[in-house]
Amino acid sequence: MKLPERDTSTGSSALLAALVVLALIITTVYYREADTGPVHSLRRGVKAMTAPIASGGEVITRPFRSTADWFSGFGVRREELEVLSAQNAELRATVAELEEARQENERLTDLIGFVEAREFEAVGAHVIGRPATSWEHVFTIDRGTDDGIEIGMPVLGANGLLGQTVLVTGRSATVRLLSDRRSGVAALLQGTRAEGIVSGAIDGPMELEFVSVDTTVTIGDVVLTSGLGGVYPKGLLIGEVSSTQAADNDLFQRIQLLPAATLKGIEEVVVLVGAGTIPDLGGGE
Amino acid sequence: MRRTLPTAAAILVAMVLQVAIAPHIAIGGVVPNMFLLVVVTLALVEGPAAGATSGFVAGLLFDLLGTAPVGPGALVLAVAGFIAGALHAHMFAEGWRLPLSVLFITSLATEIAYGFMLSVLSAGGPFWDALTHVILPGTVYNAVLAFLVYPWLARFLRRDPQMTTFHRLG
Repeated sequence: MKLPERDTSTGSSALLAALVVLALIITTVYYREADTGPVHSLRRGVKAMTAPIASGGEVITRPFRSTADWFSGFGVRREELEVLSAQNAELRATVAELEEARQENERLTDLIGFVEAREFEAVGAHVIGRPATSWEHVFTIDRGTDDGIEIGMPVLGANGLLGQTVLVTGRSATVRLLSDRRSGVAALLQGTRAEGIVSGAIDGPMELEFVSVDTTVTIGDVVLTSGLGGVYPKGLLIGEVSSTQAADNDLFQRIQLLPAATLKGIEEVVVLVGAGTIPDLGGGE
Repeated sequence: MRRTLPTAAAILVAMVLQVAIAPHIAIGGVVPNMFLLVVVTLALVEGPAAGATSGFVAGLLFDLLGTAPVGPGALVLAVAGFIAGALHAHMFAEGWRLPLSVLFITSLATEIAYGFMLSVLSAGGPFWDALTHVILPGTVYNAVLAFLVYPWLARFLRRDPQMTTFHRLG
């Protein structure tokens, strides 16, 4: 047993008090300053500095992740599984897009001369960093302001919408996933055109909120961005309904979604440049 | 001054591991907190002042690495480092059960305090949801990781050069 050392407890307590006050000051400054303020600038500096480290981790762990993926698909040849998974995802996205296009065509054929432009410039990017804490669903890509990326731009995976850029440095950007609690996307159900807000949750799947109990919602219904608010362009695939429930006196249903695109296994994404640069409902950096 | 270099090195290594490795060993979305392991170990071998200071620096880095508000992590880890250091000053024993128990309790308290602060700042979601899906799983994961790395980390950081065997440290 080690005897207690005589610590200068008063000095330590004073030091702790000073550090606590300093932390509170930093928090206050963070909330009150502009995006160009010292704390935000420091964060961008740390992000820029650690982006290559995250990228290194991505490269180093890739063989281990491939091995884990191979074991998870045991029983089916890996190449076959990859091809089938890719085909399935592509077909689901295509069906959703075609159905959306068909319905859109029906609605718009009567409106002579009306053309909705949906051509966006896209920038491809590699995923170089995954969520570093349990408290947020964000990832890092290897494109930044040098490539024309700005805060608030939609980011898509191969299967659908992933999220939005919330922090940008010269050569990297942080993307907040739709599943993050601070994300909010104006959305609609493809079949009924009922509108709502898709928001992330810390305890599980995304939810489609503010859909009336009078609206008929069935499992498998496709959910798309509605384009309202100007954050995300209209018609991007978000996911499909996985469960729905409502109590007797509820005004709105509780609808849970299966996201079309998740970060698992994704190594490349596309950033829609110029599609929208308004931070989402959770606020940008 | 002699202790500053190993302390700074340990925090820097924790940052590298947090960014490069921790995301890839996450289980069910639960990412281990490398900073916490280093801060509590430092506090246990150095005392409350070093624990608070290293906790503040590590917590600030933790905040800056994410997109959540900057400051709560620094505050929580500074307090955690101080408390763990105070325990060291009053009840440290040369075994592995007590340090790991302190690590487990400190980890739980740190995650709860951080989740509470994020809830207060409207940046972390409902506290009870976070408790079951982030805080408790994260505490267990940190404890398991601490069981694996604490003896080696303590050997690197401790002041007494005679205490070099795994058995006596662990």
